[in-house]
Amino acid sequence: MGRYLLRRLVESAVTLVLATVVVFAGVRALPGDPARTLAGEEADPVAIAAIRRRYGFDQPLPVQYYRYLENLAQGEMGRSLRTGLPVTDTIRDALPVTVQLAVFSMVVAVLIGVGAGVIAAVRRRSAAEWGANTIALLGLSIPNFWLGLMAILVFAIAFPVLPASGFVSVFENPVESFRHLLMPALVLGSGLAAVVMRQTRSAMLESLSADYVRTARAKGLSNAQVVLSHALRNSLIVVITIVGLQLGALISGAVVTEQIFVLPGFGKLTIDAVFTRDYPMIQGVVLVTAAAYIAINLLVDLLYSVIDPRIRVGGAAL
Amino acid sequence: MPSVSFMLRTVAVLAVSGTLISTTACGPIGSDGDGDGPAPGGTIRPGGELRVALAEEPDLLDPTLARTLVGRIVFVSICEKLYDVDAELNLVPQLAAELPEISEDGLTMTIPVREGVTFADGTPLDAEAVKVSLDRHQELEGSARAAELTSVDSVEVVDEMTVAISLNAPFAPLTAVLADRSGMIMSPTALAEKGEDFGTDPVCVGPFRFSDRVAQDRIEVVKDPNYYDAENVYLDQVTYRIIADATTRFNNLRSGDVEVLERTAPTDVAALESDPDLQLISSESLGYQGITINIGNADGITQPPGPLPDEFASPLSESPLVRQALELSLDREAINQAVFLGQFAPACGPISPASPLSSDAAQTCAEHDPAAAQDLLAQAGVEVPVRIELMIGTDAQARRLGEAIQAQAAEGGFEIELNPTEFSAALDQADQGRFQSFQIGWSGRVDPDGNIASFLTTQAPLNTAGYRNPEADQLIEAARASSDLAERRDLYGQLHAVVREDNPIIYLYRQKNLTGVAGTVAGVEVYGDGLVRLAHAGFVETE
Repeated sequence: MGRYLLRRLVESAVTLVLATVVVFAGVRALPGDPARTLAGEEADPVAIAAIRRRYGFDQPLPVQYYRYLENLAQGEMGRSLRTGLPVTDTIRDALPVTVQLAVFSMVVAVLIGVGAGVIAAVRRRSAAEWGANTIALLGLSIPNFWLGLMAILVFAIAFPVLPASGFVSVFENPVESFRHLLMPALVLGSGLAAVVMRQTRSAMLESLSADYVRTARAKGLSNAQVVLSHALRNSLIVVITIVGLQLGALISGAVVTEQIFVLPGFGKLTIDAVFTRDYPMIQGVVLVTAAAYIAINLLVDLLYSVIDPRIRVGGAAL
Repeated sequence: MPSVSFMLRTVAVLAVSGTLISTTACGPIGSDGDGDGPAPGGTIRPGGELRVALAEEPDLLDPTLARTLVGRIVFVSICEKLYDVDAELNLVPQLAAELPEISEDGLTMTIPVREGVTFADGTPLDAEAVKVSLDRHQELEGSARAAELTSVDSVEVVDEMTVAISLNAPFAPLTAVLADRSGMIMSPTALAEKGEDFGTDPVCVGPFRFSDRVAQDRIEVVKDPNYYDAENVYLDQVTYRIIADATTRFNNLRSGDVEVLERTAPTDVAALESDPDLQLISSESLGYQGITINIGNADGITQPPGPLPDEFASPLSESPLVRQALELSLDREAINQAVFLGQFAPACGPISPASPLSSDAAQTCAEHDPAAAQDLLAQAGVEVPVRIELMIGTDAQARRLGEAIQAQAAEGGFEIELNPTEFSAALDQADQGRFQSFQIGWSGRVDPDGNIASFLTTQAPLNTAGYRNPEADQLIEAARASSDLAERRDLYGQLHAVVREDNPIIYLYRQKNLTGVAGTVAGVEVYGDGLVRLAHAGFVETE
């Protein structure tokens, strides 16, 4: 196990180094010069040259790459060209926003999706099922940006019950955090809620016709007990799998939602960094994302090897 | 959103003469301190946090290194300058005690420093502090101010409260330059402590002082008790929130999540004006938007103008007649109506009519005449339709503008192909001369020299057109050297006539500074420079 772990760690480290090369080269392959973009309106060639010198863009690429690695080794990702603030601090501020938004959206999606799915399955061929199906279809079809704008028009402007924008951390003020994140979470979670609803409904329909449900009814259990304790419980396995698979989509969907609700999250940070050619920031966000993927893969592989010893043995034989 | 009482709503007077807003029913209690600017009206209660939506994220808050227009909106609250402009765009002293005294040969500028002023950290303002800041603006590596101060040879401390600036050559626009970031004075104590990190925690003189910044989210500034006019500052705090999308920005104003909105989209103006809880401040901007035509930018902006490579050469680059024909085929007023719903103003030259240096001669304009355009093309002997590629931005407004230009130019005998290009890449291509024509503008400077010299002088840093005309160069230079307003006005009028013959830039329209303000707020001032001044702003007393 020790050797396997070591091998996987080395592999991950190599992948991460390769990621830095791709990130570094990819950023520089973008059209547009960061010094020119940074110079803004007053793009005096002398000023542009001074900016290049100031940020080391006048150095040969290998030298720039070496300095980048050198700083990384010291845990330094540099400073944003735009704001002058450390990239590490900015990412540290932005990540929790997206994570809280994604988690809240997932909770909202599961609550709505499972609830509607159960109703649709239990009340078959009723107005309730028809309504739930329609909402699911709408949830899947309506683009987030439109839904977001409509939500703001209704709940922040026509009936001002929720703020139109901004973020408060759940650890700072849970009530305000809930108020600020409710609309974005509903909007972001709408697509997922629809998927969850359809999966719950079909899993429930299957469960409700299963033998154990008939047995439960024969035992004289109430309808609620049968539905919630027996049928739903078994159906949730499918739902949990779907939710897990959709989490990635949720985080990428957060980009649009963050823009509409002005949430200072990771997605918005990435887009702004690309548009302003903020090299250190783009490198930072891409690297953090790559590192997260590598870490999750490593963790999953290690878990597999714990569960199935053939994996680590097979790996060692290679 | 807290609703305003009917009484207050009805007395809110909007944007009179396009420069300031005042609620005039109640007796004004605010004074503007030194009597430079217009007095804010209305009964303003002290205290409160005002939230301002900015369209972009400001860059580093270091007056020496800062480059964005939006950054200036934050600076106006925290970093005062030696000079400022008033509502009529006249230069007035701010941290200087008086307008500068200029020696007869025009080579020395003596500036008395305002007495009794302290920086936000308690350091007193004196001539030495002014010298430290001006030297830093000139010398710091990567300074964005160095180019603005090339006329300055040295800065000397004459006595405790007087500095003298020696110039290489007479340069009339310098006072106006010192009314922008080059005139911002930073606390020497903070500069010594923070060095290059000054921008992460700037300390200057201002009604507010920097408090906190969260990247891509907000910048907070709080009232500075050390400010020399602190008794007339009402707000406790101003939070600048960064909201890039125009619709989202407007929705946040409507929902009461922000109280002030800079750069309202023209398409939102009707909704804003019809909302009884909101007010609009509209002021003429100093900048312009137009079409820059690549005439001679063959090898990049740093190289002398020359014949263009085949890829970018066109009848448009080769013949002034063809460029005049393009201008004649464009109907500026129709563009303003169609694309900006009439909210902006047609522009025919680089000088804003709001500038004290504008004249009738500087505003002469070619009337829309597609038939005359076709005649000119025949006279030039070019094949019709003349095919041109126009580089435009990628947002919806840029596309609408591009399509309007395309449709109108077609009537005059042009076939325009639109080339939407992402902004950073477009700037790069323009600098390298890799374009035929480019729809771009300039935010504008108080002194017209700032709108002209860098764009129209041969080999000037922003002359992406590659324009070269010795007569224009001479007129620009003469206008810079003269400190006589009437003479400068006349020279700019002559220059306009010369440039109109060549049309390296076809000026199209002038944006307006459209600032949305909640009805609960009074005392917000926006002049032609587009900065949102909040020193005397506050929440209106509700009874």
